[in-house]
Amino acid sequence: MSDLELTVVTKDTDRPKLALGRRLWNAVLPVALAVLLLGFAAVDHGVLSPANLLNIAQQTSYLALFAMAQTVVILTRGFDLALGPTVSMVSVGSALAMAGATASGHGAAAVLLAGLGAGFALGIACGLFNGVVVALLGVNPFVATLGSYNIAIGIATTLSSGRPVQGVPAPFSQIFYSGSIFGVPAAIAITVAVGAGLHLLLARTVFGRSLYLIGTNPRAAAVAGLPVKRILVATYVLCSGLAALGAIMMTARTGSGEPNLGGALSLQAIAGAVVGGTSLAGGRGGVGTAVLGALFITILSNGMNLTRIDGYVQMVVLGAIVIVGVLLDRLRQERSQ
Amino acid sequence: MNTALVAAAPRHVISLRSIAGRIGLLPALLVMLVAGMSAVDAQFYGIINVLNILRNASLLAIVACGQALVIIAGGFDLSVGAVVALASVVTAKTMAATSAAFPGSNGLIIASGVAAGLGCGVVVGLVNGFCVARLKVSGFVVTLGTMSATAGVGLMITNGIPVYGMPELFVKGFGRAQALGLPTAAHVALIVILAMVFAQRRTLFGRYVYAIGGNVDAAVVSGVSIRRHIVGTYVVSSVLAALTGILLTAQVGSGQASFGGDRMMLQSIAAAVIGGVSLRGGVGRIEIVAVSALFLTILGNALNLLHVDSRLQPVFLGVIMVAAVALDELSRRSKPRV
Repeated sequence: MSDLELTVVTKDTDRPKLALGRRLWNAVLPVALAVLLLGFAAVDHGVLSPANLLNIAQQTSYLALFAMAQTVVILTRGFDLALGPTVSMVSVGSALAMAGATASGHGAAAVLLAGLGAGFALGIACGLFNGVVVALLGVNPFVATLGSYNIAIGIATTLSSGRPVQGVPAPFSQIFYSGSIFGVPAAIAITVAVGAGLHLLLARTVFGRSLYLIGTNPRAAAVAGLPVKRILVATYVLCSGLAALGAIMMTARTGSGEPNLGGALSLQAIAGAVVGGTSLAGGRGGVGTAVLGALFITILSNGMNLTRIDGYVQMVVLGAIVIVGVLLDRLRQERSQ
Repeated sequence: MNTALVAAAPRHVISLRSIAGRIGLLPALLVMLVAGMSAVDAQFYGIINVLNILRNASLLAIVACGQALVIIAGGFDLSVGAVVALASVVTAKTMAATSAAFPGSNGLIIASGVAAGLGCGVVVGLVNGFCVARLKVSGFVVTLGTMSATAGVGLMITNGIPVYGMPELFVKGFGRAQALGLPTAAHVALIVILAMVFAQRRTLFGRYVYAIGGNVDAAVVSGVSIRRHIVGTYVVSSVLAALTGILLTAQVGSGQASFGGDRMMLQSIAAAVIGGVSLRGGVGRIEIVAVSALFLTILGNALNLLHVDSRLQPVFLGVIMVAAVALDELSRRSKPRV
């Protein structure tokens, strides 16, 4: 990674040309998005209808949130395979807490607080586990989060006995799903607000910048006196906290706590982040790449659904897109060096 | 070539030492588990249960051997579970088609089915290897992509419906047969493990895989053809996964796109990692991985026999995995750096 800086500095003379090339490469994904949308619209006019666009925005907001969560840890050369099971666990836990609070006769506000409290507590506990195992015990993030993947699945299915948990109160769904702020549906509003906050955190605070340094050069980060271990723990907690928020939003949407809610979400979120241009080698990416990748994957699957492409074919296409997306990103990186 | 071997040598010494510690731990746990279970439940050492364990452990061990090889070279193969499914479906479909065209000629039917199944493995392995070695895309992402694509193809071929129509000889005479008291899968697994152990210790391929995983730059400078060997590891892994798919098909008697899957993939990685294969590459022994596959299978079996809620069982697997790797990491830290 330090090579990268070096080459950029030595090639200072042809900077303008380089910047143009980089800008062109950066435009590849947005252009591909537009082409994709127009292509689907040519087959089915419903794709560009306001109702469907709103639908796409709403679907994207969940995946974007999870991709952002994943991006935070990927920036530090980690990943969180346990994200999906964390979502399931939080969904079940918050639904159980709310059902319990309702049954014992608490008011609406107390029920909501119980749900949110239980959800975030479970999410943060999962993040703490991941962070401690990765940062303090020095276990590879893949193994650490694969371990918590299994643990979280076990807890989610045991707590719920494998069945959906009923008893999510209407106000909960109202706030996190069907409600709207200034006409913007709740899911979109929350994701936009969180995305803006996370962007500021990553771009403007010492904590955010140190994530990039740790990802680019962990040795340099340690030598520079950064408390790398503490920052890493905080990173995993932040990731799981964001996942917990997404889980609460999804629980509000389905109206029940689902032990299978997370499903393939871990890998989808990684795919979203990576397709958007987040580098698995660490140090490159941000809120923008996460949102772009999530938008791309959502539009692709929404368009394929509307144009009635077989669900199994969609799996093949998505697999190919992930590889091509990362390949393009690598070429882009080579160009910019 | 000489320098490659020399460069690999010190690493080898370290790995031998760290594994010496592990040889004590894992088999000790295994013996304790077996002894404890035999004392608690007589069903455990009943012939039916033992055969059951052997069958499942063999299938897992075959996949885990391939996975271990890829990890030793510094990669990852998330696609193995999907390859198991695809190979199963393709084998069954091919056999059904061939027996429709040439009824009765069992040799041809079985040969074509097995060839088609293994062929799937070769193709997926080549795609994985090509993307990783030539296009330099990270192994995690490539195999994440091929996992989705391969699973999709398997489902497309069958629409999710089991495929029947394989000759009796393949199912009863091969898949469910027992020679010398052992199920077919156990024989195949033994052959695979022995071949892999030999390859790891006595062939250039095996030594180069260690060299690449241990230090790519040193391997390049020593003139090891990195690309070819990396492609090789992915092909071996996919072919072994396909072999497992074929064995599973023969055992069950139908080709199913639901075989393998994420569970098999995660378990194979768990078996490799608990068996002492380092995710940093360059360290790991196939025979220990096989023992660890046996351990994981017996653990699952024991939890079932003890009536532990099947929903709670993943928790045990997760805790054991993290603990095994954390212990390894801590013991490495306490040792002086060589």
